[in-house]
Amino acid sequence: MPKQNKLISDFYELKASQLMDKRVWDLPIIAEKEDIHHVLSILGARNHIWVVNNKEDKELVGVITEHDVLSILAPKHLPSYVFGMPDIRSIQHGTVKTAEDVMAHKIISCNPDEKIIDALMRMVKYKLRRLPVIDDKKLVGELTLHQLIRKYYGATQYHPMVEDEEG
Amino acid sequence: MITTELFNVLLLVAAALIFARVLGYLFYKLKQPAVIGEIIAGILLGGLALFFFSGQQLVIFNYVISLPTFDFKSAGYVLLAELGILFLLFISGLETSLSKLKKTERASSFVAIGGVLVPLILGFTACVFLDLTIQESIVVGLILTATSVGVTVRVLMDLHALNTDAGSTILGGAVIDDVIGIILLAFVLGVEKSLFDVAWVGIKIVIFFLIFLLLGLKLIDKILDLGEKIHMPKAFLSISLAILLIYSFFADRAGISGIIGAFIAGLLIGQNMRSSKIMDDVKALGYGFFIPIFFVGVGASLWVETSMDLSSYATIAIFAVVIIIVSIIGKIAGCGIGAKLAGMSNRESLQVGVGMIPRMELALIIAAAAISRGLLTGDAAHQILITTILLTIVTTLLAPVLIKATFKNNE
Repeated sequence: MPKQNKLISDFYELKASQLMDKRVWDLPIIAEKEDIHHVLSILGARNHIWVVNNKEDKELVGVITEHDVLSILAPKHLPSYVFGMPDIRSIQHGTVKTAEDVMAHKIISCNPDEKIIDALMRMVKYKLRRLPVIDDKKLVGELTLHQLIRKYYGATQYHPMVEDEEG
Repeated sequence: MITTELFNVLLLVAAALIFARVLGYLFYKLKQPAVIGEIIAGILLGGLALFFFSGQQLVIFNYVISLPTFDFKSAGYVLLAELGILFLLFISGLETSLSKLKKTERASSFVAIGGVLVPLILGFTACVFLDLTIQESIVVGLILTATSVGVTVRVLMDLHALNTDAGSTILGGAVIDDVIGIILLAFVLGVEKSLFDVAWVGIKIVIFFLIFLLLGLKLIDKILDLGEKIHMPKAFLSISLAILLIYSFFADRAGISGIIGAFIAGLLIGQNMRSSKIMDDVKALGYGFFIPIFFVGVGASLWVETSMDLSSYATIAIFAVVIIIVSIIGKIAGCGIGAKLAGMSNRESLQVGVGMIPRMELALIIAAAAISRGLLTGDAAHQILITTILLTIVTTLLAPVLIKATFKNNE
């Protein structure tokens, strides 16, 4: 179906800023020094948290997903071989105190001007379901797979891909 | 015939892996480090090889069965064991995060430095008094420097004391003293004779670090990207392993020992975003194959065909006892003083010192590397290797007891 193909190629050409969730106030965000219990309370409702240096600058420093919490929530079992720096982060042993203790430091992100196709490729490459959108280190939005699916499906149902109004 | 020899090595490797896993598991069940089990597996297998598999023929009635020969010194086995060392250092490097290292607290650095200097000096002095050459004494001193934190972490977990000041200081300190130990090893392996050499090797190490780490950090993304563009299964892993081997080659060429190259390769790739992707594969290869071969080989090398009589055993026994005592006192004093200088209480300083006692992988690697590099030869090599093995066993068994004692009634 040529029409379908046209649709997806238009979709690919859109910019991250056009499809991202711009409602930064509504994104799960936490400052790196905040208590681990605050992390748990947010993750009870959301799947991930963006960790920023502080709530004013919103400079992205890490991300916490459910999976990160699984490794500190479950009892720690050290492998029988321990070389180098063992990972001893654990709620049971009190070695995780703040958000920065549990977050992943290495962040894969995209910038607002990047095309959706590049963002999708990056999600495939790194096996991610969400990307933070970063403008000069500052978190300006997020692009989730969930959202992209919804937008694309909406477009196949003749809804406009890009909403005119904000939010 | 080459092929028969090769298949003998393969059979030996199979036996080594089975012995390593069985005894490793046994020790794990006894709540002891699996590595000790693997070394003992090596001692057992080495004995078996010597008495049953060194070219004997079994004659049952008229049938002659020639048993396979097991030779731990064969080129094939040695290569695999050397790869085991490289994998160990590579994994250590992968798991060492530079950013965390930078954040290490003052107390940990003090503890690490004290814990390197005092055992090094005490060990060296003791050996000189026991009539070893300067070179041998330096190697022994070096063997005493690096802490193996695995045992301590496990004990502290049982005691729920990981989150104490002493606990976190020990963890930080053990990581730094590993790095210091590796760099010092590069020095010792590189220095041939004079003091001039020391400076020259120092320069070489700095140059090597600069070129291979800093330049590598710039290029690694491009290289790994390339690896990813080749759409072949595990291309990224292959490229990483190639980097490990190339780095080892150049480090060896630079005269600072291949294992430094392996460590730097690990550090470098560990900084990359995608390192977590290969971690499991590298561990599967290392832990599942090469590393047990190395530990079994270490155990087996206890059996050497030199003229050993009662007096030489007595010499070794006395030497081992002295060195083990020095190693324990050295860490308690060195790390304890470091902790005290960093402002910890007497009790905490003692806890830190005791927690840093265990020695394991790096001590064995240093001894093995020194022997294969020809720094230790003949009876002295044998003597020091036995002592190192005993040192690892005694310190890892003794440390938990001491740690529990010092942490008792801890608030």
